[in-house]
Amino acid sequence: MADYSIIDHRMKSATGEPPAARLVLIVLALSFLAVFLFVPLAAVLAGALRDGLSAYFKALAEPDSLAAIRLTLFAAAIAVPLNLVFGVAAAWAIAKFDFAGKSVLTALIDLPFAVSPVISGLIYVLLFGLQGTLGPWLAERDIKIVFAVPGIVLATVFVSFPFVARELIPLMQEQGAEEEEAARVLGASGFQTFWRVTLPNVKWGLLYGIILCNARAMGEFGAVSVVSGHIRGSTNTLPLHAEILYNEYNFSAAFAVASLLVLLALATLAAKKLVEWKSRQSAGEPG
Amino acid sequence: MSIEARGITKKFGGYTALKDVCFRAETGELVALLGPSGSGKTTLLRILAGLEIPDAGEILIHGEDAARRNVRDRRVGFVFQHYALFRHMTVFENVAFGLRVRPRKLRQPERDIRAKVHDLLKLVQLDWLAGSYPSQLSGGQRQRVALARALAVEPKLLLLDEPFGALDAKIRQELRRWLRRLHDELHVTSVFVTHDQEEALEVADRVAVMNNGQVEQAGTPDEVYRRPANPFVYNFLGNANFFRGRIHRGLARIGAIEIEAPEHANAQDCPAVGYVRPHDIEIDRILSGKTAIEAVVRRVRAFGPLVRLELVRRDNGEPIEAELSAERFESLKLREGERAFVKPRNLRLFLNKPE
Amino acid sequence: MTIRLKRHSVLPGFGLALGYTLLYLSLIALVPLSGIFFKTAAMNWDEFWNTATAPRALASYRLSFGAALAGALINAVFGPLVAWVLARYHFPGKRVVDALVDLPFALPTAVSGLALAAVFSANGWIGRFLEPLGIKVAFTPLGVVVALTFIGLPFVVRSLCPVLEDLEKDVEEAAASLGANRLQIFWRVILPSLRPALLTGFSLAFARAVGEYGSVIFIAGNMPMVSEIAPLLIVTKLEQYDYAGATAIAAVMLVASFLLLLIVNLLQWRSSQKTA
Ligand SMILES: Nc1ncnc2c1ncn2[C@@H]1O[C@H](COP(=O)(O)OP(=O)(O)OP(=O)(O)O)[C@@H](O)[C@H]1O
Ligand SMILES: [Mg+2]
Repeated sequence: MADYSIIDHRMKSATGEPPAARLVLIVLALSFLAVFLFVPLAAVLAGALRDGLSAYFKALAEPDSLAAIRLTLFAAAIAVPLNLVFGVAAAWAIAKFDFAGKSVLTALIDLPFAVSPVISGLIYVLLFGLQGTLGPWLAERDIKIVFAVPGIVLATVFVSFPFVARELIPLMQEQGAEEEEAARVLGASGFQTFWRVTLPNVKWGLLYGIILCNARAMGEFGAVSVVSGHIRGSTNTLPLHAEILYNEYNFSAAFAVASLLVLLALATLAAKKLVEWKSRQSAGEPG
Repeated sequence: MSIEARGITKKFGGYTALKDVCFRAETGELVALLGPSGSGKTTLLRILAGLEIPDAGEILIHGEDAARRNVRDRRVGFVFQHYALFRHMTVFENVAFGLRVRPRKLRQPERDIRAKVHDLLKLVQLDWLAGSYPSQLSGGQRQRVALARALAVEPKLLLLDEPFGALDAKIRQELRRWLRRLHDELHVTSVFVTHDQEEALEVADRVAVMNNGQVEQAGTPDEVYRRPANPFVYNFLGNANFFRGRIHRGLARIGAIEIEAPEHANAQDCPAVGYVRPHDIEIDRILSGKTAIEAVVRRVRAFGPLVRLELVRRDNGEPIEAELSAERFESLKLREGERAFVKPRNLRLFLNKPE
Repeated sequence: MTIRLKRHSVLPGFGLALGYTLLYLSLIALVPLSGIFFKTAAMNWDEFWNTATAPRALASYRLSFGAALAGALINAVFGPLVAWVLARYHFPGKRVVDALVDLPFALPTAVSGLALAAVFSANGWIGRFLEPLGIKVAFTPLGVVVALTFIGLPFVVRSLCPVLEDLEKDVEEAAASLGANRLQIFWRVILPSLRPALLTGFSLAFARAVGEYGSVIFIAGNMPMVSEIAPLLIVTKLEQYDYAGATAIAAVMLVASFLLLLIVNLLQWRSSQKTA
């Protein structure tokens, strides 16, 4: 049984705060979180259901909404596997080997975090857009990348590529290379070593990386917005569709679409907790 | 299968971890690599296993250059310092791993693998833990799983890195006897690393003492203990008293005593240091003969069959540690603060100073 | 050969893994990103300078960097409070609160923007209480600060939580046994050991907020010179097909972000030298 008394055993020790101070601190922290987190979250859900459940489902069943859902799923279905392979390769090279330029490479993986999402979109417009470097060449061949689905996929891949690698690198570094070496000495091939020793050891971190990567891939707004051209029913992802509805003052529909993304976020957070719990369990008691 | 390292040098960045190391283990031998922390024991062992490539020198396995044989086909069993058990596998799966990853052509049927793993687990007395995960085992149990796992592939050469390092004194003693018995049963050439001299001297057929990336001396336990090649080895293999003095033409003069030192017959008035183990210090209340050093008893620790005395030399204030049998101590009736005369036995003389 | 670029290892696949990593990274990120600098280099200097330092651009940098700084500062105060409460106290619903702190990470920025705009607008759930006090949040620079505070919160809290959990109780107990009171212990023992993590969290929050777009544009009002952030200005220029203008501002933002990261890394390196 969890002990939810605010005054726990620690107050008797020399290093605890008096109960009143604890209460004040807790209330202060929770009020801050309420204003910035809980109330806005509730507002989205309330806004989505403002006109009732049937209006909610009707808004989601609109052809444009369905198209946006489909495109979002499509982009994620390409970006996540690509970034999964990249993340595993990068983590393997960085965590298990020593080589020159390793720290530079590690820093480069964080690029999408350092770059504004708008700029992440801009780079593809500059490369593939009509006035861009490859623009005329592509136009001749009637290939559309920017303001079309390929651009959206590209931008999605870019903003979500660090997540799997970021999750795996510290995990694999911490576990070192000894188990793999043991496997090699016992006669395992390279692939067997990776498949039977490395992968099972990082599976929860890997799963979490995939979940984060997916959340970002489905939720990206800035970069996708720049490359999309906002063409209804064909280049709108869910976040973009929510924006359009909002700008048209169709608030309850906008919030209905947004609420889907809220559910995605909540599922992501729940998965995070689950993975944390699972990985702590599989790590077992330290000994 | 014998293994030999010739002129091995290994650098990590600018740091030289091994300097021109030579080392040899004969077929069926149990050899201890003994040395202080950081002396390069693990590095040498990893090079023997093929986990690390030396910058210079060669490894000969059964007389053949092993450079082109990679880890997978060296047929060594390696027991890692921190066990490196596969944490997501049960004890059983850990031990079976090496058998299950064999190429399909060479792999035994699963039934045989199971039988073999169970035999091995019985051998290390862990068959009742087959279904447990490494995190649920004690240190000593993990150690034995690691050993069983290494033995499963029937290695020709067993390399153990501080097999008893993380265990408490009692279990260490048990396991080291057990290792010796196991070795006598299986007769597989084994090299084990330790920084515990007692462990090395008690278990091994031969001992190689390492320091600062070099092998200082190699020989049977008796050889290295009785005839240490240099002050480092002497110090490392047990407690030591040292007496400064000079040697001139085979005659050493230490304080008030003179000792024959025929091995240094050519020395011309060289500074030298004589080493003596505490149990080789003779103590008397009265001066018998003229060759003794005068000292004062500082502290007496009398428990068990041995009595340990701390004395201080009258002439230069240097400390002396001595061990006597309880009976001898009784008959001397020495008490703290009293005067005594000290005579070193079996003095080992080295020219120049200790560190 | 004594110069080796890679230490020997018995593990396989290094060449393949590194090669693929570099190839992918170059194709997806490095080549496209360098396009910005090529495009900038192709502009003549006056043109670049005039675009990059036009009053509207300057106002947008001021807002982006100023509001990001303000948001990070707010988080530097409330973040430690939240982290402390989560790490040290028990209260009902703590696990849910703990999970929700990461919401700004997980929530698509557009949704955050919609939600904040709805809550802080004049008739929103919070805005309606601020309105009578004469505080307007939505569609003002203050709204930008609110959005950037929201975005940055988890960076600070998550940097601090592990440190607070690892902070050994006996250090505090030692301080108490030496006669320090609770406040002194916090000020002299706990806070100094939190400082590197706080700095990390603060700079991560700041760096993220500078480039933030989605959560801001809904609540900002986006009035040129007043509440228009730099990323929005880039988008606006793009929509007017002013690629050169967009690129110039993007280049300024990129250089600023990289400088920022460099400074942060230097600061962290220095503070880790001190504690090591
Ligand atoms: N991968 C490495 N990179 C850099 N230096 C290393 C590496 N491995 C070992 N060293 C250095 O080489 C020296 C010898 O290390 P080694 O692990 O062989 O010592 P050891 O005798 O096994 O010590 P211990 O008894 O503590 O295990 C140490 O100074 C160590 O710092
Ligand atoms: Mg070692």
